[in-house]
Amino acid sequence: MGYVAVKGGTQAIDASIERLTYERLKNEEIIEIETIMATMKSLIDQIMSESSLYSPYLAALAIKQAEGSMEEAVFLMRAHRSTLPRLYYSQAVESETMLVERRISASFKDIPGGQILGATKDYTHRLLDFQLLEEDRAENEAWLALYQKASEAVKASDTVAYFPKVVDYLREEGLFENYKPDNTAPVDITKQSIAFPAPRSARLQVLTRGQTGAVTALGYASLRGYGQVHPTVGEVRVGSLPIYVAHPNEGEMDEEDAFYIGEIQVTEVESFVPVTKKNEANDQELEFEIGYGICYGQNETKAIAMSILDQCLEHPESSFPTHDEEFVLLHIDSVEATGFISHLKLPHYVTFQSKLDSIRNVKKGGHTDEN
Amino acid sequence: MKRRRRTEILIQGDPALAKKLAESIIAIYGYREIIAPQQGLTMVKMRESAKNSLFYMGEVLVTEAKIEIKDCIGIGIVVGMKGDLARNLAIIDAAYKANLPETAEWEAELVEAEKQIIQKRAKDQAKLFETKVDFQTMDV
Repeated sequence: MGYVAVKGGTQAIDASIERLTYERLKNEEIIEIETIMATMKSLIDQIMSESSLYSPYLAALAIKQAEGSMEEAVFLMRAHRSTLPRLYYSQAVESETMLVERRISASFKDIPGGQILGATKDYTHRLLDFQLLEEDRAENEAWLALYQKASEAVKASDTVAYFPKVVDYLREEGLFENYKPDNTAPVDITKQSIAFPAPRSARLQVLTRGQTGAVTALGYASLRGYGQVHPTVGEVRVGSLPIYVAHPNEGEMDEEDAFYIGEIQVTEVESFVPVTKKNEANDQELEFEIGYGICYGQNETKAIAMSILDQCLEHPESSFPTHDEEFVLLHIDSVEATGFISHLKLPHYVTFQSKLDSIRNVKKGGHTDEN
Repeated sequence: MKRRRRTEILIQGDPALAKKLAESIIAIYGYREIIAPQQGLTMVKMRESAKNSLFYMGEVLVTEAKIEIKDCIGIGIVVGMKGDLARNLAIIDAAYKANLPETAEWEAELVEAEKQIIQKRAKDQAKLFETKVDFQTMDV
């Protein structure tokens, strides 16, 4: 049985799209892009991360157009991305250059530079704040003025502080393996389809743009026993990374001739995972390895979950789904997963009729094939 | 001043400075637009700290402009949708490339702007450091 082309839905589709517009406009409220940017940062961060496109402004527009639907907003951003030329590749970004806004360790209380909580919801009561129902602009302005006045009174240093990594401190002590910089050109999964076994660069690229919920769920599954990784968080840091681009045709050039193009905010995590290895004397020895997680914006849960999955995929284990790279990497992409699930809504009249015919035949005692 | 340092100052600081410097060049030399400010992407190459290898983290929306002054092409690139700033950066880049005498006079102004950026960042950081945890070991 072949496919059958049908028509007749055009008018209904036009009316449906008109109704969609009506549903968006009927309450006669308009939300400004600036309002979304100022008040829904976490949503913007997730959309930028899952769409793999850093632009808070476009993410806010996507939220407005998608009426708050994450999957729709990510789809819009990915689609828009595909219309833009890729003009440059950045120079390798080293996260020691991060201007830190938050930095904590669950492994050590005393880390060089100290633990900086920054802005976090970790210590807030998870109770609905009904005062927000009657939020007053004048009161907010007064609060801000007081905060700024207090900031002015704080004694500042003459320089800006940059923080060493917790893991560097441990590497200096010889507690972690010291890897030389590996400058192998990374694979780009937006240019070539992922093949298995996947190189580390492809794995990290898929994980960092994975759907927050999916990455979190699989990381959690590993902790619960569907994997063999249960790390201690060495360091979570949130802050801005400077991005530099080389001149496109000046050839060999001095580092100082690169273009600074701006900053992006990221969350980066290093998780410490104990592993057993054989030493030179063939004895079992306990060592630590690092699981790495990073994503656009402030999304600590996703970055920690990514660090778990990174470590899982470094050690393939056929008995654990979270250590199976095909299972993990092919199921965490928002556009692919939501797209495939939602395609089930589209007409499957022919395939379903075929299945129905087969069942009817069986019920009548007939055969379903030529034999 | 080298490009890396001056683009840091012009992008991190008040965009009015880039506008002022670019206008001072246009008024004397004019310019030819090669690429009007256009949006595009820059792929971020990241070094991860577990194995010290490289991977692509994702793309960043940028605005790029290219202009020509006295046979020298200047490029302006900036994260976000900032057409005017990208054009002004391109004009300033071309001015440096063409070794225009005005660029020597900008040095002091750029250094002063850099000082202000550092001061502001240090001030913000000082307030941030109020959230630094002061651990005290308890007697049990």
